Amino acid sequence: MNEARAYETISRVLRLSRAPSTYVGMGADQGSATRLADNVITQNVRSEGAWLSVECAWGRKHGSASTNDLSDGSLKDVVRRAEEIAKASPPDPEFMPLIGRDEAKKYLETRRWFPRTLELTPLDKARHLVAAVRKVKSRGLRVSGAYSTSGWIYAIGNSAGLRGFTRSTSAEIHLTALGKAGSGWAQELAEDAGEMDPVRVAAEAADIGARAQKPSDLPAGKYTVIMRPAATAELLSFLIYGLDAKATDEGHTFMRGKLGKKVFGGNFTLRSDPADPRCPGGPFHGDGMATRAIDWIRNGTVENLAYSRYWAKKKNKKPTWGPENVIVDGEGKAVDEMIASTERGLLITRFWYIRTVDPMVPSVTGMTRDGLFLIENGRIKRPVKNMRFNENLVDMLNRVEATGEPQKAGEWSGFLVPALQVRDFNFTSTTKF
Amino acid sequence: MTELELCSRAADAAKRRGASYADARIVRSRTQGVFTEDLRVAGINDNDSAGLGVRVIAGGAWGFAASPRLDRRGAEETARRAVEVAKAGSLARPARGIRWAKEPPHRGTFRTPMARDPFTVPVAEKAGILLAAAREALKVRGVKKCNGWIYIFRERKYFTSTEGTATESDVVMVMAQYAVTAVDKTTAKERSFEAYPCHAGWEHIQETPLVGEARRVGEEAVAKLKGKTCPTGRKDLILLPSHLALTMHESIGHATELDRVLGMEESMAGSSFATVDKLGKLRYGSPIMNIVCDNTMPHGLATHGWDDDGVEGQKWHVIRNGILVDYQTSREVCHAIAAPRSRGSCRADSWGAIPIIRQSNIGLEPGGEPLTLEELIADTKDGILIDGMGSFSIDQKRQNFQFGGDCFWEIKNGRKRAMLSDLTYQAITTEFWGALDAVCDRRFWVPFGVTNCGKGDPMQTARMTHGSAPARFRKIRVRPGVK
Repeated sequence: MNEARAYETISRVLRLSRAPSTYVGMGADQGSATRLADNVITQNVRSEGAWLSVECAWGRKHGSASTNDLSDGSLKDVVRRAEEIAKASPPDPEFMPLIGRDEAKKYLETRRWFPRTLELTPLDKARHLVAAVRKVKSRGLRVSGAYSTSGWIYAIGNSAGLRGFTRSTSAEIHLTALGKAGSGWAQELAEDAGEMDPVRVAAEAADIGARAQKPSDLPAGKYTVIMRPAATAELLSFLIYGLDAKATDEGHTFMRGKLGKKVFGGNFTLRSDPADPRCPGGPFHGDGMATRAIDWIRNGTVENLAYSRYWAKKKNKKPTWGPENVIVDGEGKAVDEMIASTERGLLITRFWYIRTVDPMVPSVTGMTRDGLFLIENGRIKRPVKNMRFNENLVDMLNRVEATGEPQKAGEWSGFLVPALQVRDFNFTSTTKF
Repeated sequence: MTELELCSRAADAAKRRGASYADARIVRSRTQGVFTEDLRVAGINDNDSAGLGVRVIAGGAWGFAASPRLDRRGAEETARRAVEVAKAGSLARPARGIRWAKEPPHRGTFRTPMARDPFTVPVAEKAGILLAAAREALKVRGVKKCNGWIYIFRERKYFTSTEGTATESDVVMVMAQYAVTAVDKTTAKERSFEAYPCHAGWEHIQETPLVGEARRVGEEAVAKLKGKTCPTGRKDLILLPSHLALTMHESIGHATELDRVLGMEESMAGSSFATVDKLGKLRYGSPIMNIVCDNTMPHGLATHGWDDDGVEGQKWHVIRNGILVDYQTSREVCHAIAAPRSRGSCRADSWGAIPIIRQSNIGLEPGGEPLTLEELIADTKDGILIDGMGSFSIDQKRQNFQFGGDCFWEIKNGRKRAMLSDLTYQAITTEFWGALDAVCDRRFWVPFGVTNCGKGDPMQTARMTHGSAPARFRKIRVRPGVK
């Protein structure tokens, strides 16, 4: 599917619609993933697909339908279903008129389509993973993990003449190196698979895994911690939920009353910039509004909340949508330097199963995973058993002592975050391994 | 060409290209969602998706390919890709190849019994229920928000294998839920109510008092604002089925998936402390703990005629009298416990996903002696009653966990007292289930559902039912969640 074919399909759907206002979104994707467990390939999958959704509206009465069948008959059917829903729906006071064609002039061009990511065959991936297995086995460990690549296109169009098209590739590899008593983990993410090195990931996972063997007990309590970037990404994703302006203005997010105020530490900045080549974003949001750079939190002060077009109009603000990507600035301090400056603390490889406990704080809980190390007098002393933490994120982000160089990490390639050194991180219990 | 014929064509094509085993699934799904925010309908959508997934063993390794193309050429091309992918994987295949448990060929059709097809219910009627509930909830002073949603799902599945199995299934799921938020000068609290998700027709939604309960739910949301702060210490917990569903899901359901136990999910969802060397020996809980998997139960979200390995639905104990006695298995892994046959727990979440072990309908058997919730409360001196699901987190081997809930009440000297706020409890799985000392009887056994269970890499989302009667756990560590 290319841009011309996507626009042709969108135009066909727009012609089928009898509604005065029609919006169409469509996409196509292909992907493959090879999975390892205990040094062997256990799963190898390849898939492709497409989808198209249409929203029809008469005034403020609107309805949506979608399909993955792009045949003529199916497109007629999906338009008919959207029309029927719209007619049966009561008027929605928050429904906004379509965005006009001129919005497309604001669309950014970002480079995030790398054909060689999609040219990587299952056989190529298998060869890379065999090399990774060899690397980890050389340290006397076993390896599990996955190597996945995908590519997708996304196109939009509406009956007001707006058109938009974007495409992206992505690749991710994560490996867990396991011994009899302990594990290590490492990950790389990129739009361009050519930038990734599975053997480098294997070496890092094996290095952490080898040092993580035979963890000993350490009582729960407050410790200075150093979070590697993957841990930072997992934790900070729970801040994003509080950015919605409408919910905040209605009083049910932790951000209420905080807009314009300095509530985080002065060394904490969280922003979005789709033009940043380190984590390029798309040119438009779901309704066709152009993406742009936004500071959400700048030097500890809450600068912006996420305004939908409706809420922005009501509050006389500029609409923002949510974050197109998440960038946390860092001072570039190396993890080794943070360790050297820690008298007594813990080095965290990553977190696992973080959940919000009270969204109004926001307090969260979760576990450490795949390598937790005690630091004493500026050096890693020994591995310790995993711990559960309970933390207040606003409070925690006032206790950041040092920050590293931002890098891609986490479950989503749109996160660019540094390692963090945080004092008095609150662990509440330990587990058995 | 029918769907089953197309599946057969794909499986046969894979075999011709060198697969020693192949199966093909065509899935046609349709979903509909109705979303309300307070007294407005925020959105209604209706979605369909169809495609073919082909799974093969070739060169001693697995391959899977999927495509939305549902014609002869599409079927053959998808089969060719699956074999190609499998052969690539044979570079690092298991030394002993893939061991594949026998299963007799099956033929037949499985359907969700239902009185009224939810897709024939006008969307205005669906939205009307949610708006009526919101109208009631918003009458309560202090309630500022009521978000509701109804979700219905239908999946028609066609499956054939090179072993001669050819089955069809047609399942329908319905669910409805709303969340009421009360706001005061300092904070906000939410309370929820649902027509729990299950395989059924629209009658399940009609039989649930969504509107009738809305005012109570609103009042309890407001009461949560003024709830006493949870104490820190050890308390007896009485957990209602609406809450216990998720506790069982996390601490038993995942821990007894044999692929996790064997390390096949190590790098993503994790593994399990309940390793195969402990089978028949591990004291998982107290002697009154009986955990049964049942993929034959009416209306269960994991109930099927046959799983995506082509194995028919079964019912079995994984924990009997507190001892680990079995696992949830697939044809690929059941040999690890010397089981001749899979338990039929292998499912994919769509046509585009490869089947993996997913939780069955897994639940706690009711107590054998007559016992009501009121009698259980009356027998508890210093406890806490917990209703509904809240925050939940557990380590990757399923040992250390922390759960919250939707609503909490103090129990003092046999009486339900004031509402508490912000409670969490932490425990180690076997210590927690070892503290189980009472389960109400069969009259109070209620099924609840989970529809967002994530597992696999690429991630898949599965649904399953967890039933129980109210149960009591002695001296569990509780603490406020906000600190």
